[in-house]
Parts: sequence; structure tokens; C-alpha cells
Amino acid sequence: MPEVRDRLVGIIVCAADPAALDRLVAPGHGARTLRVAPDETMAVVSPEFTEDLRRELGDRVAALDPDALVVDVSDGWAAVALVGDDADHAASYLSALEPPAGEGFAQGDVARVAAKILREREGLLVLVPAYWHEHLRSRATEAARAAEARG
Amino acid sequence: MPSLRLDGRRIEIHDGDTIAAAAFRAGVRTFSRSLKAHRRRGLYCGTGDCANCLVTVDGLPGERACVTAAADAMRVERETGWPSADRDVLAINDRLHRLMPVGFYYKVFARPRWLWPIAERVIRRATGTGTLPLRATAERTPTRFVRVRTLVVGGGVAGLAAAATAAADGSVLLADEGSLGATVTLPAARAAIARLTTEARAAGAEILERHAAIGIYEGPSAALLGANELVEVEAEHVVVATGALEAHGVFPGNDLPGVWLGRGAARMAAIHGVSLGDHVVVVANTDDGDDLAGAVRGTDADVTLVAGRVLEARGARQITSATVLTPDGRRAFACDALVLSLGWAPRDTLLRMTAEPEVVGAGDVVRPGCSLAEAEASGRAAARGDAAEARDADTWPIAEDDGYVCVCEDVSMHDLEQAWDEGWTSSEILKRYTTATMGPCQGALCSRHLADHARAKGATPAARGRTTARPPVRGPRLGELTGGVHEQVERRTALHDRHVAAGARIDHSGVWLRPGTYGDVDVEIRAVRERVSVMDVSSLGKFLVTGRDARALLDRVFPLDVGTLAPGRARYLLALDEAGYVMDDGLLAASGDGSFFLTSTSGGADRMEAWLRNWIDRLNLHVHVINQTAQLGAINVAGPHARDLLATLTDDDLSRGALPYPGHADITVAGVPCRAIAVGFVGELSFELHHPRGRSVELWDALVAAGAAWDLRPHGLDALDVLRLEKGHVYLTQDTMPDDHPAKLGLGWAIAKDKDEFVGKRALERMNALPLERRLVGLRFDGAPERGHPLTVEDAIIGRITSCAISRAAGGAVGLGWLRAIDGVFPNVLRAGDVVATVSPTPFYDPDGVRLRA
Amino acid sequence: MLVTCPTCGRRPFTEFSFGGELRDVASPDTRSDFARVYLHDNAAGPQQERWFHLLGCRRWVTLTRHTATNRVGG
Repeated sequence: MPEVRDRLVGIIVCAADPAALDRLVAPGHGARTLRVAPDETMAVVSPEFTEDLRRELGDRVAALDPDALVVDVSDGWAAVALVGDDADHAASYLSALEPPAGEGFAQGDVARVAAKILREREGLLVLVPAYWHEHLRSRATEAARAAEARG
Repeated sequence: MPSLRLDGRRIEIHDGDTIAAAAFRAGVRTFSRSLKAHRRRGLYCGTGDCANCLVTVDGLPGERACVTAAADAMRVERETGWPSADRDVLAINDRLHRLMPVGFYYKVFARPRWLWPIAERVIRRATGTGTLPLRATAERTPTRFVRVRTLVVGGGVAGLAAAATAAADGSVLLADEGSLGATVTLPAARAAIARLTTEARAAGAEILERHAAIGIYEGPSAALLGANELVEVEAEHVVVATGALEAHGVFPGNDLPGVWLGRGAARMAAIHGVSLGDHVVVVANTDDGDDLAGAVRGTDADVTLVAGRVLEARGARQITSATVLTPDGRRAFACDALVLSLGWAPRDTLLRMTAEPEVVGAGDVVRPGCSLAEAEASGRAAARGDAAEARDADTWPIAEDDGYVCVCEDVSMHDLEQAWDEGWTSSEILKRYTTATMGPCQGALCSRHLADHARAKGATPAARGRTTARPPVRGPRLGELTGGVHEQVERRTALHDRHVAAGARIDHSGVWLRPGTYGDVDVEIRAVRERVSVMDVSSLGKFLVTGRDARALLDRVFPLDVGTLAPGRARYLLALDEAGYVMDDGLLAASGDGSFFLTSTSGGADRMEAWLRNWIDRLNLHVHVINQTAQLGAINVAGPHARDLLATLTDDDLSRGALPYPGHADITVAGVPCRAIAVGFVGELSFELHHPRGRSVELWDALVAAGAAWDLRPHGLDALDVLRLEKGHVYLTQDTMPDDHPAKLGLGWAIAKDKDEFVGKRALERMNALPLERRLVGLRFDGAPERGHPLTVEDAIIGRITSCAISRAAGGAVGLGWLRAIDGVFPNVLRAGDVVATVSPTPFYDPDGVRLRA
Repeated sequence: MLVTCPTCGRRPFTEFSFGGELRDVASPDTRSDFARVYLHDNAAGPQQERWFHLLGCRRWVTLTRHTATNRVGG
């Protein structure tokens, strides 16, 4: 049965001109960048690097678009991981979204709320606005159980 | 020997038996009683299409005995007939059928009016099918989502061929409601299925057995119901290969036990080895006659095979004779079983649910009666996108003047004639008046007969079509319907556990879980008015709006004057839609760097974000919006000692010089960085502290601990309602309606004068030029008012109380309510039942707003 | 019914919020404003509409939907 685990993440939002975001070079610290909209990129990173990442991205984006906005929005998001070989199968009980391949992401309806799904080595990571943390966790647990029961 | 119990009676189960096979072999002939006349009904279709054999299995009603596998120790109960299906007291209804013409219950029990509720209860008990297991625990069916390129419904020859061919182009899922090949009697068909199953699997098709498709929806998408799961399939292409059953024969006596449809009879004989009777007559106008006769002969019965029109069947508890008009003339046969293959009725309900070109049919369902080779070819063609147009069967039985058309609902030909004579002259209205096709089989047997009848009566083309096919194909259980649907998606603030621990009653406030009260609303109100209190307002919509066009956007979209909003200042924000109606309200605060912070009501956050983004897009402005509703918690510190409390937790200047009203400032409270906004909703000195959500608990704890010095009590929504009412503040959606423009709400002051353009401006100009016919007003009562109570002037209702409370601070019972003008004048005194209401200026408490400006 | 979002792809309509028929952002006078806000073409055929991807990228898209067949084009 896939495990359901809470995860702490740092999230930086870059709101800027689409052309600037197109040219934004991916930062380090193992950050994943998600182009969630033409004018918005979200960078997801391990919490200890959040501040460094915010400064780096702030500098890089400002150079490309002086009117841009770069904000640490980590508090606004909750992350729940589905860990295990059958993470995708469990996810099929939560969402009709095709789980992303490789470094990509998917965004859409997961357990009836607005979410983003990332693939990790150990499974899948689901991000939702923080006020839905409990909701996602309980639905994910239910999904893992249903996936397990079906075998 | 394994056995099941049918109404308590022990019945042996042979290998592979369905419940119906085991029961029939043991001599059971009556499986149910018909709806109105309580006539005996036996096995008829044998393929799970009709509703004659619905039984309750292990407490669950509505199972079809002919397709449900029998299992050892199963408890089976027949669902109709009292005291039993075999001896039914209400069989007397059959003799009285002349007193119960079609639609009689609409006419007979309508007057006197008091009779109907009684009649309804009696009718329900007499016509109900099965008992709901009300004490069973509710179980939600697990639901999962699948995306495929091709979905194939039906695992017969055509379906398997389609799956095998489609697999070359992408993923394929084939769903069959039973086990592949389990119901196929012909050796040639069995061999074809085995071959095609191997081919399909080898090509990579996934096969889901025992999953029934109960509906096809836009997409196309489909819902598959398995034993304990619901699968929602999104497909690019759907091939429906659900086959056909024999046409339902309509003639006097057609519902007698012992009358069978061909394939069901063949299954019973060839697969289960059950004898249908000693003398079996097979009437076949299709090519299946020889195969059917052969299958039945296998059980050592004496079989007569003829072709022709069945004129009638006779018998009491079961059939004893049948009269057939053959090419050689009228012939009567003594028989104990009559097997019909009079024509084909494609199982096309799923196919007719959608007009999308991506959903096509293959096999019997579009070419009824086709050969195995034709079925296979049609499946392969459908998979390649060369689908055939559906064609109805060439042979269709003529309906006699009498006989049951809709077997589920006991609607006879005579009933259809009478209904038509009464003026119900289209297939759709005939359906609704007679209830034909509305039973458990959902028209599988009779929908063509209904359309035929309308055609025969000369109905216009529009009035003689097949009645609309809608999901579900067959009634699912409630637990299955709710699979994957959850009642509430709840949002929680970071302080949720604190509220629970403090004993709060947690309410559903829209999509949010929020404390209604911590125990005593009055105590909470007094804490706010007299000392200090805190409230968790983290659910408020919060937005950071920046970018070079930020000011232009806000000025263009909202009716307030953004140009004069200086840094450090805040202003009450009214959001209007394009019709000039109040959509939401909140606060707009300007920061020093050209960015803005905006709040909205808790319920309006998503709409506010959508609204802002819409205008950015349409006006092509350079603006960035970050929805910080989740990111920031917010705690309102309110009361005459609010500043004193905060002073113990911060060194920052909280005087009006540093933090004006209305305005905002960045301060640090108990080490937590906050944007403090001076607000006035509850009418006391208030500081709404917006802070990082991750530090909400820390901040709350610090405030509560320091507040002990003033006996701080937190307040919830119930107290908030009274506090804001005492100030006459409007509570959106409670005091307002979707078509209120500001003047009606007394909020005209929030609209800037002399602004060139803002959303809703022209609409306001138009409406302000018209006389006001409805207003929200303050009210004082001389007794205890009731929220929602109508307001009257001389018994004429001219308004309604929208909010009310008995208020200590306001010195009595106060409220807000709607009034209509009478001849252009708004009355000042009204009644709400026994209570007198007087229009009163607001605020009721601290009308000059001295306390909140402290 | 599937809606095509330029950022997220084809998605079920349940992920979206419907914004109505596309109309002009402003009108020169009160009379034409009334028509702009209240009088819709409501065509039985292709119609330009506004949709907000509430559960996805949270941006607006203008698309053409055939109101009789519910098929979504560009």
C-alpha cells in the first residue's frame, strides 16, 4: 500500500512577463520549476533553501523584468506525498489527471480541489493550498486504502 | 451439496448455477408479482434485461436472479407479493383490473384531498419492490479514474474484435458486465470468443470483467460499475457492442410464467442443463430457430419449431397453450413453455445516450441478427473508425390488441389505446402518463413498442420517436451513485485545533470550518464591547496586487477612489458587477511601494481572484496578483483594551498617528511579523493582524495569554453577527440579494463621485435615475423578532427581517430588513407578527463611531 | 464536456468557472451599456465565451463553443 506522508516544502512564486519567464534559467538547490501560467512560475524546493532561492530568483527575474514580483509563498501551500511503486495507482482514486512524467507537473482537480502533482523518485507529490491540507491527507489515505484493497 | 435459501426454502446449487437456474430447476416458477395487477411473473428474458426475476440477495434488493451467480448459504427473497410471491392476497387486483384503468390513481384518489396521503402510502406498500436495508452501514463505493484511447463496452465477438483491432492505435479497455463467454451457448461463438480474447490480450487490451457500463456522458466518458468499485473512464473513442435481445412479444397472456425469450431459454437449457418443460414450442421468425430448438432438445424436451405470429397464450399459474398464426394457418399448441424469437431488439440504450461521433456501435447492436463473421468485421471496422449506421431489425413482431407492453409497470396495449384516446398523443407523453418504459428495465423490452404504437396511431414524426435514453442504464445503489462524490470539501484555518480544544462549536460557514461560539455568545459579546477579544478571521480573501498597472486596474474595476488612497491608508471596498450589483466587499490598502493589499469576504475569495484576473486579461494590463488567502492567517484583536493588549507584545507605535483609521502598518507582535489593519466591522477599536499562516498558533497563544490580564475571551461567528448588527453593518448574502445596487443597501457613500469609468458605472447611473422601490433599513422592535419573518403594513407583506438580535449595547431588539415602497413612500412602522417594528437610523450603537476610532 | 485550456490542455468543464458570452469591456452610454450587459445573442451555434480555469492555472480563456452540440473549438 502506498504510504501517505506530509512533506514540508519551500515555494517561491515569480509573477512576471511571459517573455521573461521563458528566459528564466532554472535555479539550483534542487528546485523544481513549474510554469503554472504564462505569467507565473512556481519554484518548489526543500525548505532549508527557501530563502536562498527567493534571493536568487528575485535577482534573476528582476534582471529580466524589473516590474516582476517574487514572493515566498511557502505558508500558502501544503504538500502530501504518495510514496511507493503503486503511487500512480493510488492517484487514480484521487484524480483523473495523468500523473506527470519526468520533471514535469500536472495541475487540475485532485480530490475535488485545485492541486499540482509532481513526480518524485519515490512516488508522487501533491501540492494544495494550505487550507485543504487535512482534506487532501484524508482523501489520499482513503485512496491508498482503496488501491490496496483492489490489489 | 452447496445450497441457497429462497424465502427460507433450501435449494440445491449445481456448478455454474445462477440463482434463477437453481430455483427453476427446483420447481420455482413464480419469481415476482406484477406492479398493479399482481399477476404471476416468471423467468422471461433470462439475460438480465427484464425485471421479472428481481430478488433480494443477502439483504440487498434489486438483484437480477438470472445473471447473479448462486453461492452457498446465500439468502434469497422474492420481493413482491404478500404474504408470499406464491400466495399473494393482492392477486385480487387482477380481477379488478377494469376498475383500475391506466392513470386511475391520478383520478380516483385526488379528491377528497385528505385521501391522497393515505392512498399514496397504501399504493406504495402494494406496489413496492423490495425493502431497503435501512440498518445497513452506509459504504461509499471506491471510485477510480482511467484514461484510454478506446473504450469497448461488451465482450462478445464484435466487442473483442474491436478491442483487438483498436489496440494497435493506443490503449484499450474492454468492459463486460459478466465473464467473457460465460453465457454463450453456440460452440462456434464460443470458439470465436476464445480466439478473439487471446488476440485482444496479446495486442495489449485491458479486459475488465464483471463491470457494467451504466452511462455514457459527454467527453466521451463512461461510468463502469463493478462489484465494489466505480470506474470513471475518459476515452477518445467508445465502441458499444452490447448486442441484442429478442423482441418482446405482445399478445394476450404474454406475461405468463413459461413464456421465454430465445437466448435466455437457450442459456437455461444448454448452459445450466435445466429443462424448461416437457412440451416446448419455439416460435422463430429469425435465423436462430434451429439453434434454439437444438439447445432446448438437449434437455430431453419435446420441441415444436414454427414460424409466425403469436396470437395468444393461455394458462393460469403458467402457460398451458399457445396459438400461433403460421404460414399454414392458425394452430393451437398444448405446451408448458413457449420460446420466442420474433425479431431483434438491439440493446442500444447506451448508444442512444449520446450524439457524439466518437461513440459508435458494433455487432448485434447495430446489425441485429448478423452472423459471427459479420459481427467480427463490424467490430474491427468500428475500431478503425468506419462505423456502420445503426439499422433496426428487419423483423419486428406485430403487437396484438391486448397483452402487456410494459411488463415492469403493468401497462397493457389496452392501456395505451385508452391513454391515446384520452389525448396523450406522443410517445414521450404516453410514457409519462402510463409509466411505460419507466420501470427497472428502462424500456429495454418496450421502448420500441411505444414508439411503434405512436407511429401506428399516425403521430407526427416528432411525436413518435423512441423516448430519450438517459443514464443510468440500470438503477445503481445509492452508495454507488455517491462513489467519488464527497459532500463537503472543507477548508480549515491553522487555528482549527485551538478552537476545538477551547470547546468551540465548529460550523460550516460556506466551505470553511469556523467556530460559531465557544460556549456563551453573550460572554463573548461583552468581552468585545467592554474589554478585549480575539477572533480567527483567517478565512478572509487576501490578495497582493502589484505591477506598473496595479493602481490603474483597481481604479478601473472598483468604484472607490484609488487615486487618493495614500500609502498606509485603507478604504472600504465595494465590488460591483457589470450590472451595478454588489458582488462582494472588503478593504483596499495601499503600501508605500505602489503595491496594494486587498481583502474580500471569506466566501468571495475565489470569485475576487477570478474577477481581478478577468479585467487584467481583458484590459491587457501589467498587473501581478497573488492570492494569499491560504498563505496568511488573520486574527482580529478587538475591544477598548485592544491597544493595551498589543502594547504588551510589541514595541511598535500603535497610536493613530502611526496607524490611522482606516489604515494599516507593518508591526511585530510577539515576534511575529504582522500587517495590522485598523478595521471597524464590530464597532470597537480593532486591529486585524495578517501574518504568516505558519505562525498563527504562536500568535494566537501569545494574545490569549497576554489577554488574560483583561479576562480576554475569543469570539466566534454568532457573536460577530450581533456585534456588526449593532453597528448596522450589512452582512453580504444574509442581508443582501444578488440584485442589490449600493443605494438599496445604504452604501452609496462607498461609491466615489466624479470617477470617469469603473465597472458598473453606467448601470448605476441608469438605476439611480429610477425611483428606489426597495431599501434595506434599520429596525427597532418592541418584542422578540424572528429572522426571516415577513414585515407587514395592514396585512400586506412589504418586507422581511434579514437579521435581528436582542442587543444589550443597542438597548433592545434591533435588526435589518427589507422594505418596499408603498406608492413611492417607505413606511416607518410595520408589524412582524405580534411585534411592532419601527424604522430606525443605524448604527444602533455608537452612532458617531467614536469607539472604533479610538 | 471538455474545455481546452492553453496552459493545461483539455480538461473536464468541472475544473472551470463559466464567465458567459464574450462581450465588450465598456459602452459609450447608458443605453448601449444596458444592451451590452443584459441582451445576449444567445446563439444556437458557435458562441465565444469566457472560461476561468479555477482548479488549474487560474487564468481566463476565450473559446468558441457550439451551444447545440457542446463541442468546444479554438
